[in-house]
Order: sequence, then C-alpha cells, then structure tokens
Amino acid sequence: MPDPVLQVEDLCVSFTSGGVTADVVRDLSVRLDGGRTLAVVGESGSGKTITGRAIMRLLPRGASARGRIVVAGREMLSADERELRRARGSDVAMVFQDSMSALSPYLDIGAHIAQAVRLHDPSVTRRAARARAVEMLDRVGIPEPANAVCRFPHEFSGGMRQRAVIAMALVNRPALLIADEPTTALDVTVQAQILALLRELQQEYGMAMLLISHDFGVVGSVADDVLVLYAGRQAEYGSLRDIFDQPAHPYTVGLRAATPRLDARLDTGGERTRLRAIPGAPTSLRDAGPGCAFAPRCGLADQVGERCVVETPLPTVRPTSESGGLHLAACHLDRLPALQEVAR
Amino acid sequence: MSEPILEMSDVSKRYRTAGGFGRGRKGFLAVDGVSLHVERGEALGLVGESGSGKSTLARMANGLVVPTSGTVRTDGQDVAGLSRRGLRRLRRNVAMVFQDPLASLNPLQTVRQTLENVFRAHGETTSTAELVALLESVGLGADYLGRYPHEASGGQLQRVAVARALALKPDLIIADEPTSALDVSVRAQILNLLADLQRDQGISFLHVSHDLAVIRLYSDRVAVMQRGRIVETGPSDEIFRSPQHPCTRALVEATPEAELPA
Repeated sequence: MPDPVLQVEDLCVSFTSGGVTADVVRDLSVRLDGGRTLAVVGESGSGKTITGRAIMRLLPRGASARGRIVVAGREMLSADERELRRARGSDVAMVFQDSMSALSPYLDIGAHIAQAVRLHDPSVTRRAARARAVEMLDRVGIPEPANAVCRFPHEFSGGMRQRAVIAMALVNRPALLIADEPTTALDVTVQAQILALLRELQQEYGMAMLLISHDFGVVGSVADDVLVLYAGRQAEYGSLRDIFDQPAHPYTVGLRAATPRLDARLDTGGERTRLRAIPGAPTSLRDAGPGCAFAPRCGLADQVGERCVVETPLPTVRPTSESGGLHLAACHLDRLPALQEVAR
Repeated sequence: MSEPILEMSDVSKRYRTAGGFGRGRKGFLAVDGVSLHVERGEALGLVGESGSGKSTLARMANGLVVPTSGTVRTDGQDVAGLSRRGLRRLRRNVAMVFQDPLASLNPLQTVRQTLENVFRAHGETTSTAELVALLESVGLGADYLGRYPHEASGGQLQRVAVARALALKPDLIIADEPTSALDVSVRAQILNLLADLQRDQGISFLHVSHDLAVIRLYSDRVAVMQRGRIVETGPSDEIFRSPQHPCTRALVEATPEAELPA
C-alpha cells in the first residue's frame, strides 16, 4: 500500500481565551490517498473549516492543535516556519469560499500566480513565471489567458475569480488540495463548471483533494469518501456509496433527509412533501457535555436510553458494500431502524 | 375569481450607474418589461442566477423599489399612486423576510422591542399574551421575548424575523432567500414553517431563491428569470419535469442531487 498523501491521527484542536480552554475538534483520524477526494461534511461549528486550517497550520490566534498531521511525508505540527513555507503551495494548497478575499485588489491576476511560482523556485525568471501564469489560466478555462493575466480581480466575475484562485493554488502541483466550500458563493451553473474543473485537474495531476462542504449535492457529485463531522467529532466515515446507501449514524440520515431534492415531488405523485427537519440547532463541542453531542437532537436516543447521555460513542466498524472499504460510525446503536423513525 | 394579491404588468427598473462605469450612460436595466401575478393563497417561486433581477422585482411588490415604468398592483391598489401613509398601510399587508436575520434585526433591541415596534409603527398596541402567541406560532417559547439577537442562533433569529412578518396578519409575504444563510438541518425547519403558514393561514408567498430544490418543494408556480426577464413560467411540477427554456434547463441540469445514479 502506498503512503497516504494525508494522514491525520488523533487530531485535537482547542481554543484558549480568557484562561479557558475548549476543544473544537477532538480525536479526528483521517487517511487520504493520492487521486482521491474526501468530502468533509458538517454544519456550522462542526469543526470542518478548522480541520482544513489545522492541516495547513493556518489556525487563528489562540488555537492550538495536538495529535499528528502528515502531508506528503512531512510532519506538519512539528514543522518550523521555513518548512511550513516550503510545504504550503508545493505539498498542500487551499482554495477558499470567498475568492475576492483570497486575491489582492492591487495585483493583477498574473502577478498572483507568478508570485506563487517564484516563491517556491526563485531561479525562475519573472518572464518565465508570467508565462507559467498564462499557461495555468488557460488550463483552468479562462478565455484569452494572455490578456487575462493583466486583469485585476475586480474585473473578473465570481466564477472566473475562483478559476484564477484554483490556478494559483495548483501552479506548483501540490500533492493535496484543500477546498473549503469552493462553490458556495457561486451560481449553480457556475458551481457545476467549477466542480467539473476540480475533478478534471485532480485526475490529471493525481492529487488528493479534501473538499469541505455543507451540501450533500456537491458531495455526491465529487467525493470518493465522506467524513461527517458533528460538534467537532467524527460522526461517520465511509465511501460515498456506503454513506448514501447505508448510513449508520442518525445525524447523517437526518442531514440527508433535511436536504431538499429536485425530484422530491415526482416521487409522491405531485403531493407536496415536507422536509424531515432535525429539531434544535447544531451544537459545538464547546457546549457539549459528556455523552453523545447529537443526543439532544436525535430521534433514536430514547431507544438507547441513559448511555447516549453519559457515554461518548467511539467510531466502530459498520457493514460496507466496498471490498476493502472502511465504514465507521460513532453511535451506540449497532443498526439503525427505518428512516421514518430516525428523522422524525 | 377574486383579484390576485399581486399583479405586475410590464414592469421595468433601470438603475442609474455612477459615472457611466462599465454599463454606459444609459444605466443598467435590472428588470425589463416583466408581467407576473400571485393569486391569493398561492406560493410563487422566483428563481434565477445572481444578477437576474429577481430581488429587484420582489422589492417592487411592496414599494421598496420604485419601478421606472409599468404598474404594480398589490391587493388591488396601484403602488405608484400611494402616499407615504398609503405605503405604510400597504406594508401591513405585504411583509418581508430577508436572507440574513442577523442583519435584518436591530442588535440593540430585544425580541420583545422588535415585535412591539411593528405594532407601534402602525399605531397599534399589543399585549404580552399576543406576543407570546406570535412567537409560539413560529415555534419559539416565551423566554425569547427578553433575548437580544446575539443570544439566539441563526435559525431562531429567522423565526423571529418570520414572527415579525406575521405580526400584522399580512396577506402576502415576500421571502428573499429566507433560508440561504442557514444550516441544512435548520433550513428544513424554516421551510416547513413557511409551508405551514401558507396552508393553515392562507398567506400568499412570493419566494425568491437561487436554489431550485427549495423552490420546487414549496411553490405552486414558478417563474424563471434571466437578465431581467421572465423566460419561463408555469406550475412547479411541469417546469421541473420538462423545462422548456434553455436557461431553465441549464439550472435544472446544474443542480447537484444528493442521490447516486443507480
């Protein structure tokens, strides 16, 4: 088995403010091979963005990470600034939701990409770096790339800007791309184009991709594997097929049932369907006491009883339809009953 | 048949653009000769990409945006002919729910003050019992009356915003992307709440969204906008089963489904 591009072991991220320390991510373990896409799914406060940032070592002030993160053979948590600078961009790059804040309004698009090239290889001349930028813009589907390098971010549409940011992130061929809600700010038609582009480039470069998203629709169209986070902990992990066809955590089931679908009313012969909402609001690990963080919102906690409230469930192995696949869920119930009971 | 709650005929809106930057001196035509109506008790979904003019169109329904040409009749009255006072009366009847509840609620006012102000603005008084009943109709307890916006979650705040819209028993609610800023699990709660209001209280809805799946779920009819015009309109089921216009087709095809091909 080849070494994974990304390996995360027992990652904990905590925030300290006013002398109080609180975990926002706890006991997270992930393995991701080259050429594969892992979608990290969760709602606000689930720790998905913080996990992405911990991998880049781009945590906000007051946050600290424990555990182990290895990217392309490099220990990220013990790396010094010089090593980190080398890793960022060439081993691991990141694309954010808001492309406008990822670009400097004072620099043209070409300068952004050329800078990324020269930072990692100072021997490249300015002219050659600029040429790389043109090449890269062409690769991400920006028309007339030779003119586009001279344009400024505000002259681009949201979709074009996100393409430019992807060009900037991929120009040094990173082994891992972290995409944090890359299409959330875009129109659906543009979203479909950007997702297709990401998939295509991933195949071409053989890179691993960590896609952070709240949208099961997006996840379903790009992911190989899915990690569902709730309140900073792993709720469920498995192949896309296992997560969609035989989910083993009530939160996964509830989240999917709460997602509106285009074909919803066709199933029911025109009768208006109601979404199955999960009661309450997402909690963060900060507010969670002992026991399962999802228990207060879970329709099945009554069936298990006391245990859900006092004992935190650990991820255990669940049935999988993939040969050699790994399917984990952190729930005290070994087997979920029919959907109707899970999402009330 | 009774008169539609909202009727727009050949409505246009041209925004003047500062210094003729980009779009030229003629300004930018955001809405271009649109005719549209919402029947009483009906939910009309307005979809389109960003910049298609759907928010501008929705805001013309209650006079927040004044059309450059064309007529808007809300509840039988011509909005253009209304005085300040007339407009205020109109807005009793046509309430609005915006995308970001945190931005649309005053951070310095408790939920009680926010709701009381609605009544006061229309020269009415209210009782605590009425306010509690109002909160209960959107699924919130009486304890929310004393809370400030920062003390509640996004979903709870959007419920407060819906309660504020319901306060004066409107006939039409204009909801502009009411669930786009909410978490998936909470979004479903708010969508169900709005659907219940339409069913149980007979309130009409003009629901603006870029999300086709949301629109499909709770609109009787759908209008698709592109570059300031309505390019396709019809019953929700028909539009989504067999979209005719290329723009509608592109939107339907681009919507990712949380479903695997069999």
